[in-house]
Amino acid sequence: MANPLADPVLLFFIAGLLASGYLLASSRSKDGVDGTNRMLEGTLAFSITGLLSSAWTWVIYNDMVRNPLGGEFCATEGLVQCGSVIGDPRYNNLFGMSWGSLGMAAFTALFFVVLCIRMDIHAKWAPKYLDYAWWLGLAGVPFLLLLIGIEVLVVQHICPFCTAAHLALIGYLAAVIMLRQRREANAWH
Amino acid sequence: MARRRARIEPQGKDEDVRLMAGMITAGVVTIVLIASMLIAPPADVGPEEGSLAPDFVADAYTGSTWEEVRLSELYDGRLIYINFLDTDCPYCWEEGEELSQMHEAFKDDVRFINVMVSLEISGHDSSRAEVEAFRDKTSFGDNENNGDGCYSGRKNCAERPGDPHTWTYVDDLSNSIAKDWDLPGTPFSVILDSSGTVIWNQAQPENHPSGEDVGNALARFLGGN
Repeated sequence: MANPLADPVLLFFIAGLLASGYLLASSRSKDGVDGTNRMLEGTLAFSITGLLSSAWTWVIYNDMVRNPLGGEFCATEGLVQCGSVIGDPRYNNLFGMSWGSLGMAAFTALFFVVLCIRMDIHAKWAPKYLDYAWWLGLAGVPFLLLLIGIEVLVVQHICPFCTAAHLALIGYLAAVIMLRQRREANAWH
Repeated sequence: MARRRARIEPQGKDEDVRLMAGMITAGVVTIVLIASMLIAPPADVGPEEGSLAPDFVADAYTGSTWEEVRLSELYDGRLIYINFLDTDCPYCWEEGEELSQMHEAFKDDVRFINVMVSLEISGHDSSRAEVEAFRDKTSFGDNENNGDGCYSGRKNCAERPGDPHTWTYVDDLSNSIAKDWDLPGTPFSVILDSSGTVIWNQAQPENHPSGEDVGNALARFLGGN
């Protein structure tokens, strides 16, 4: 694959991140339930983008396990590539679990919690679930820092699909911060 | 007199939506999982026969320096014979000669790789210097039982049976590769085909002709018998 940045799958994830960001940004101008719902939809969009990009890194991982020296779905050479990260047996797993599958599990939990709130924002448990959403998202940050550290400091290559998942988590956390601010300001509904 | 109207807080829905949210989440994840597995099914990776061999990256000694190697980069069309050894294990000491003989017989068709581990047993404290000496048959330690040298520190490595070995010795003194390969002990042998699939594992004798050792297995795979 010549230019991983022109990969249509990567462009799809970038579009997902932009759409999520747009939903979030546009929610700030809306008051009450409409604004809260829009903000929750932006948060859901970030978690779906994270889920899909994690799934794609899992696909690349499975492909590269079979074809270690040249996978079908991502470049293995150049600054932006997957071979040095997803293809390297030293860095592509945590206790034998691929980072992609771990990311899928994490984004599934984030998606579920936010979906519950979106389906009933007035529920008694909604504030508690918003806290869960925050703490669950925050639990991913050490792993995010570890992976960015490996990419930047150790292998010195950037894995584009991993970065999409990282950005999805950062966007998700920003969205949950905004939701919590909205709740604290009594602007939830 | 103005009457203050109490603000009515919106109420949640009568039914609990969390079950429905769980079902939607499960549905979405199932679709994503199925699609992912259709595109690139998870590979069966492990030391068992029929599985893809667990790949590794580690420093390796080929006679002059230690350099990083990756198992999958060593596949060159020949069979791969991976032998796990510990320089302090008495059986490995004897294995040195058998390895020399097998290498002489099969070197054109089989790539030999030794993965050097350090078993967590008292007296087993291998070092890179000891590994180099074991491979090259150079002097390391003495024949006093003082913990210095090969064979649990009881022998000078230069006296190992067999010839000096000329193939790749991989440093796994931290035993990380051994864990991925479910190493039951040393010496331990595994044969891979040229694409990295495990075709013979010493720990699975039930799959092999009765009494077959690794030398017989190599001969069988190469069409000798």
